[in-house]
Formats: sequence, C-alpha cells, structure tokens
Amino acid sequence: MVAKDVKIINEQGLHMRPAGEFAKEMTKFDSDVTLVFGGKRINAKSVMLIISACIKCGAELTIECSGTDEEAALAKAVELVESGFGE
Amino acid sequence: MRITELLTKESISLGVKLDSKDAAIDYLIDLHEKAGNITDRAVFKEGIVKREESGSTAIGEGIAIPHAKNRAVKRAALAAVTVPDGVDYDALDGQPTNLIFMIAAPEGGSDVHLEVLSRLSMLLIDEDFRKDLLACGTVQDFLNVCDKYEAEKFPEEVSTKEEAKETNNSEQKSNGYRVLAVTACPTGIAHTYMAAEALEKEGQKLGIPVKAETNGSGGAKNILTDEEIAACDGIIVAADKNVETARFDGKPVLFVKVADGIHKPAELINKIESGEVPIHHEKGAVKSSVKAEGSVGSRIYKHLMNGVSHMLPFVIGGGILTALAFLIDSICGYGATGGSNFGSCTPLAAFFKYAGGLAMSVMVPVLAGFIAESIADRPGLAVGFLGGLLATSGNASIAGYAWANDSLSGFQNFIARFGFTSPTSGNTVSGFLGGIVAGFLAGYIVLGLRKLCDKFPQSLEGIKPTLIYPLVGMFAVAVLMIFIFNPLIGVVNTGLSNMLSALAEKNLLIVLGLILAGMMAIDMGGPINKAAYLYGTMVLGTANELISAGATLSDPAVQACYISMAAVMVGGMVPPLGIALACIFFPKKFTAAEKNSTISNIVMGCGFITEGAIPFAAADPGHVIPCTFIGAAAAGALSAAFKCTLMAPHGGLFVVATVGHPLMYIVSWLVGSAVTCVLLGFFKKNVQE
Repeated sequence: MVAKDVKIINEQGLHMRPAGEFAKEMTKFDSDVTLVFGGKRINAKSVMLIISACIKCGAELTIECSGTDEEAALAKAVELVESGFGE
Repeated sequence: MRITELLTKESISLGVKLDSKDAAIDYLIDLHEKAGNITDRAVFKEGIVKREESGSTAIGEGIAIPHAKNRAVKRAALAAVTVPDGVDYDALDGQPTNLIFMIAAPEGGSDVHLEVLSRLSMLLIDEDFRKDLLACGTVQDFLNVCDKYEAEKFPEEVSTKEEAKETNNSEQKSNGYRVLAVTACPTGIAHTYMAAEALEKEGQKLGIPVKAETNGSGGAKNILTDEEIAACDGIIVAADKNVETARFDGKPVLFVKVADGIHKPAELINKIESGEVPIHHEKGAVKSSVKAEGSVGSRIYKHLMNGVSHMLPFVIGGGILTALAFLIDSICGYGATGGSNFGSCTPLAAFFKYAGGLAMSVMVPVLAGFIAESIADRPGLAVGFLGGLLATSGNASIAGYAWANDSLSGFQNFIARFGFTSPTSGNTVSGFLGGIVAGFLAGYIVLGLRKLCDKFPQSLEGIKPTLIYPLVGMFAVAVLMIFIFNPLIGVVNTGLSNMLSALAEKNLLIVLGLILAGMMAIDMGGPINKAAYLYGTMVLGTANELISAGATLSDPAVQACYISMAAVMVGGMVPPLGIALACIFFPKKFTAAEKNSTISNIVMGCGFITEGAIPFAAADPGHVIPCTFIGAAAAGALSAAFKCTLMAPHGGLFVVATVGHPLMYIVSWLVGSAVTCVLLGFFKKNVQE
C-alpha cells in the first residue's frame, strides 16, 4: 500500500464536480483508493461518499492506494488534487 | 442546516413526467420561483446550466443534484421532484434519473451549498431512503420521510422540527434558536432591553437565530423554555445581577457584563458558536424547570409552595422566640399569676415575645407576597405583601373615632360603613387562608396588568414596574380586600361568636369544648380561630366579673368559663405536635424541609403556637386541615369531659400550673395529637421529590 498527505486547494472544497471527476478517474484503476479524512475512511470511487464527507477548502487528507497499480493510482490522485481539478 | 428546513411544500412535486434534462431543469426552477427562493429565474438558470456544462450533476443511483450559487438566490433552499418513469439527465452511470434535488445557494454563503450537498448525499446513499422517497404519495409524506431519516442520521440535532415544517417560510422563527441569552441589569429598566435587542439583531445579521430573555424589573419576559435550552448551542448571560442559571446546567454558558451584550454582541455570539465556551455546572443546585405548560393544579401548588417556603423561617424563628418568652416567665414563677401578661412579665421574656411576635406578624404577608411573586414575578411581590397585610390586620377599626364631617355624602358614607370595622361588625382578620386568597388575587391582578400594559410603547417600559404595577395593583388589591373579603369574614366571625354563646347558654360543655378546639385548628389565625380564641378570652373576663360579683371559683358558671378556655388552648396545641409526630412516623409524606421543622413544631405545640402548623396546612390544605381539625376537636372534647380548667389566656405547657386536672389535660393533648398524626398518615399523599 502507498499513501500520501494532500491538501485541498479548491476554493469551494471537494464539491460535486471535482468529486465526480476524482471518482471517475479513480474507477479506471484496479487498486482500492481510500481517502482518510477526519477519522473516516472514504471509498474514493464513489461520488456520493466523497460528497457526503463534506471536504472543504484547506482540508488535509490522506490518499491510500493498494493493489496492482497502486503507484499509478496514487500519482494520478495526487495530481488531481494538487491541480485543483482544473479550477 | 436541516434538509427539511430548506424544503417547503411549494418546492416539492411528486410523480412528475419529464422528457428531457432541459425540461427537468425548467421544472425545478419553477418550483424555486413558486416558493419565493429566487428573484430572477433567467440568472439562476444560467448558473444551473453552466454547472451542468462542466459535468452532469446526475451522480448515479438515479439521483441528480443540480446546484447553483448566484446572486438571483434570496436564501439557501431546496426544490425536489420524483420522476417515477425516469428522465435522461446525462448520468455518470448512463442510467435514467428519478430523484432530483436542486440546490439554490446565495452568493457569499460560503460553504452552505457544500454542506447541503454533503448532507443530501449522506442521506441518499441509503437505498431505503431513496425507495421511501419515491414511494411517497403526498408532499407531507415526502417531508416526513426526510425528517425521519435526517433525525436518524443526525440524532444530536433533533429540535423544533414540527414548527420548522409548518412555518418554513417565516424564516428565523421556525429554525429553532441556536444561541440563547439572558440579559439583566440591577435597575432592570433600560440596559436589560438594549442588550437583548442588540443580541437578537446581531444574530439576525449573522444568520444565527438568537433568543434573549430579559430579566428586567418588570419580571422575566420572553422566557427560555427547557426545550429551547436543550436544543441550543450555548447561552450568553449578559447580566450585572444574579440570574437563575441552574436551568443551564450542562450547556456552554458565557458570563459577561450587560454592557458587553450591548457593545459586542457579534463577538459573544461567535464565541458561543466557536464551541470554546466551557460547559456550565451549577453547584449543587436543583434544576428548576420552566415548562411552558403544566396542569392548573401543579401550577397552583407551585405558587403556594413558593409562598410557604418563604414563610417557614418566620414561623420557626418567631415561634421559638415566643415559646422562649413563655419558658422564661414560667421559670420566673409567673405561670399561675401572669394572666394575660404571661410571656411579658419579665423584661427578658418581653424582649423575646416582642421580637418573636413581630416575626410571626409578617408571616402571612410573606406568604401572600411570594405566592403573588410566583404568579406575576417581581412586580407581584409588593402587591401580594399588601394583600397579606390586609388579611392579617383586617379593616381599620373606627371604634372611638369620629369623622370630621358627621353628615357624610353617599359615597363617603359607603366607604365609612364598609371599609372599616366597628365594634358590632365583627373581626375581619382572615389569617393565613385569607393570605392565600390575597396572594392569588394580587398575583393575577399584576399578571393582568402586565398583559394590559403589553401594548405600551417601549419608552414607557421603565414606568411600568416603578409606577403602574405598584400603584394600580395595590389599589386594586386594597379595594377587593377591604370592601369585599374582609367584611364577608366579619360576618362569618360574628355568626360563629353567636353560635358559641348559644352553646354555652345551653350548658353543652363537651360539645362546646369540641367545637372550640376544632375551630382553633381550621384556619390557625383566621376568622374561625379568632372567633374561638376571642370567645375563650372573653369568658375569662366573664369569670372575673362573676368572681368579683361574689361567685366562688367552684361555681359551675365560673368553671364553665375556665373549661372553655382550656379547650381553646388544647385545640391550638394539637396541630403542631400532631404534625411533628406525623413527620416522625410517616416521613414519606413530607418534604425534607418540612421534616427539618419537626423539633421546632414540638416546641411550638408545647407553647400553644398553632402557627407552626400553617406551612403544612398552606401547602396541602385539603388533607392537612381535616386532620388537624379532627385531632384538635377530639382533644377539646376530652379536655372538657375531664373538666380541665385554665385561667390563663396563653402559654401552653408553660402555664400548666394554672390548669385544673393538669395530667388529664396533657393526656387530652397527646391523644388529640396522636389522632391528627394517624389521620395524616392515612390521608396525606406521599411526597415526590
């Protein structure tokens, strides 16, 4: 398993559009992708679960990937978050 | 931010048929417009469409949550539709959408829409919730389902949901108060209200509903209920005087000066919302609750107990001081010769009797005053005091008093006839029963005045407690007591005296003893008691006259007089002792405070200080008075049957030296007390503490 701490920079937090994009990208990988936020573990392949976590701007969270393509999945996830999902 | 607070009946539509995404968007915008959530539908739609262009909001599982945050939105709100047949909303999973929630978020509302979004998805993840929503037949069902699941998921915030649904449109009121405040200043005229207003206004500005209770000199207004206290985030106490805080036990409470409430309301509210305020723990206090509702009986009991608990110290302190006076005179050897001066024959005894007597004399005013205070808050106190004073003092006597103008006009004549007592109109002292009546009268008079004055402009707020309540209230209570209640009591009194004289003439000594003693124990200082006691002292005078006219002590007529007096005194000695015994043998029937007065009641029983029983009788007249009455009557009948005599008008056990057949007299007293005690054990209900 690989993991990395990231910080949300989107002004409006991880709202539906970025959450949707995130989930869509993550489903392309075979590995399990989990967001650890506020003591909760969130399956990053479900839009609704991401949204319901209410992740606001400035929130710090950990991305965990485990599986055959975990390195690639983590790299993509970190890239998405750090790019602010193109916002 | 509850889902059900954002939805209104107007913004929900069920079983809709939609053939395209665009039609769906238009339909939901219509709902928002109908519910009055947006000002400009074109601007709002622009926002919604722009959002859809960057990616569909149909997130799968048949759900779409279109949303826009823009200037056309008046307030954060939701619209919802169910589409049983489904509509193609470009869902991420390609499936048709049949549940659409549209979020309208005002510009600058920071994270509102993220929070709503989060909450909606948390609920919608639950498949049962989605199924239940789709199965709803009516809009009310739909709201109920939302409410039910939301309450399950977020149990910590179940609050004012009923009103929330009903009055969703009237914004603030319905949402429940997040911050509560109590304001109070020593004078209670201006700052109290300024602080309350500042806090409530600032709350509105911040979007945090605030309710402020004002503890002004006009009494507490806008009182915080237990439900509100339980549901709020915290309480601001902006006060320069003591306020009742036991009810806030376990909630975050911020204590500040009243001036801070006026000048820094935003800071205070934000502090509460920040969650940094420590939890308040009341030291050893009992939580007294402010229930909006309560049965009439329990409210009357609460008022009564407020009076009784304040009266108790006067009865105990005054009563024991008086008993000490008797004890001292008795030790000094005046027991047999003191007569009507007994208790004041030595300077030391006189000192105790004077102080004790004064303390006892304010007990009925205190009772009435605090009954009124319980009903009408602080303004009731003064008016109740006056009512109680009028009950214990009776109307002014005009014996030996001449009016300046002998030929009085009609109205003046009316007042002269009814407003005063004359030697023929009987005593008008109504004692503690009259005091209870006066207390309730005063309380409801002031409560009525407060209602009447509610429409006064704010600028007159100051003169209500300083002028209107005391002046109008006292006038009203004085008129009622002096012209209605006291004269009625005078009539009762005269009638009773006549009855006693008739019994004496027929020489029915045992019946007379029974009735005299029983009368002593009914109202304990009221008209019935006074009639009996005055009869007793009157016959002592008669006996003296008979003796000076040549009769001997053993003359039956003289003996009858002394037997009457003995019955009177034994009747007055039974209630305190009987109650004290009941406190010992039936402790469950009495409160802790009542049980603590056991010893002092024994002392007062010995001293013929019937007043010791008043707090018990006042608290539960229906059960206590019959028991004391029967016990005292039994003692009186026995005392008369044993031909016990008494030559002193007062003193209890301390004048036992003047009693004929003293042993039997004490037996009568103990038997009567035992009767009272057993009856109390049967009739009085257990106390729940």
